[in-house]
Amino acid sequence: MKYFVVIIVALFSAFIMADLFFAPPAAPLRQGSRFFRHQLHGENIGLECAACHQGAEVLDHAYMPSKSDCLACHRLPLTEGPMAESLDSAFADDTYPFYNWNVKSKLPEHVVFHHGVHAKAKVSCEDCHGSRYKDDLYGGEKFTMKFCTDCHQGKTFSTKNFRTAAVYCGACHR
Amino acid sequence: MERRCFLKIMGTLTASFMLFGCRLEGIFKSAEKQVSNSIDFANRVAKEVKQALSKSGESSLFSLNLVKVTMPGEMNPPMPVLSRNRFGMAIDLDLCNGCGECIYACNLENNIPLVTQEESAKGRFLHWISMVDGVPVMCGHCSFAPCEKVCPTGAATHTPDGLSTMVYKRCAGSRFCGANCPINARKFNYNNAQELGLSYQFNPKVPLRTAKVMEKCSLCIQRLQDDRLRHKTVLDSEWDGRGVKTACAAACPKKAITFGNWLNPESELVKVARGREIYAPKALAHLDPSVVYLKGKR
Repeated sequence: MKYFVVIIVALFSAFIMADLFFAPPAAPLRQGSRFFRHQLHGENIGLECAACHQGAEVLDHAYMPSKSDCLACHRLPLTEGPMAESLDSAFADDTYPFYNWNVKSKLPEHVVFHHGVHAKAKVSCEDCHGSRYKDDLYGGEKFTMKFCTDCHQGKTFSTKNFRTAAVYCGACHR
Repeated sequence: MERRCFLKIMGTLTASFMLFGCRLEGIFKSAEKQVSNSIDFANRVAKEVKQALSKSGESSLFSLNLVKVTMPGEMNPPMPVLSRNRFGMAIDLDLCNGCGECIYACNLENNIPLVTQEESAKGRFLHWISMVDGVPVMCGHCSFAPCEKVCPTGAATHTPDGLSTMVYKRCAGSRFCGANCPINARKFNYNNAQELGLSYQFNPKVPLRTAKVMEKCSLCIQRLQDDRLRHKTVLDSEWDGRGVKTACAAACPKKAITFGNWLNPESELVKVARGREIYAPKALAHLDPSVVYLKGKR
């Protein structure tokens, strides 16, 4: 009995030690967002969402920018600000990931949402995504089918005069 | 059982669950289904298509029995949303030689799962196109679709463009639609193909279906709707589906299958069908199908 307990305890601690020392490090919740502030890039320097999130106005998907998209502006060094140094060193570092933001769309596979069509119908990004991004609060939107169909039937956004849109199943579902 | 013995067993069980419970996935990883690459899987699909072609004579549940119909026109009864499109296909039986390329192309386009050995031995396949008397038969996308009338969950619906669509997530697997389809165009997915390693996502635009769901030809709705969205955003012109082809029509080596818009007199489909004798399976003829057969009189 004694040996038995010893073996169990030894195994237990061995597993814990293995997890502590050999397991891959826990991934941070929002990877890489520490360098980026929507506040500094948005309205105050006149950037549209689609300037970085390419495809937000024409394609089905609004993509996340890559390192080279950032460097398109940041080739020129920042002259002021407390973040300037860390930014410059991060871009100079070749091991810095090229695709920094690994955001996977939460849109289920059987639903089609085309950003371009909505932009064409003069629905702005904030109408669905809210203005929380200006305050640098990322994620957490909860889109339901009701949210979509209410607007498509003209029940919500009555002041914005959006056109009503298709509500037959095959329009959005595959 | 003694109290001490019972406590010992329970203690061992608790301890082993605490130790191994979260690691079961790792322990049983070796038993995981084999991951095949797309080329291997495409070969398996091609093999199954050949098998289906060789078995097509044995187990057809209905005889084709083509009868003459008129050219499909406006949807009848009219849809609540008006549309100037009604998509359909015409299969030229003077050109078709029953090679089965359309079935293969359809399987890859729509990620149609394979079936198990027992099922294929019985001649049961999930292919959306089946060969009946050497003629490819798929869903007719009828105006008076009998399958849609009996769906208890509303998974089978019509689009204003004349497609009979399936919302797979709504399907509860009652199989009423399959029983009400006169040509057995609807296939029921008995197995969980993803778990058995029988499905592969060749086309990311078409989701893989889960088990216990009715499947059928969608007239490649993903191609149509993508083109519609592209027109709305980039080209900004009236969309009539010109230039879109279903997978089977694009793959047909004899160009026997023509896809198009029945309501546009300038579409390829109407041009092909004009002046020809138009046929449909007798079981479908009174339901005003959008998919018809052409024969004779050029």
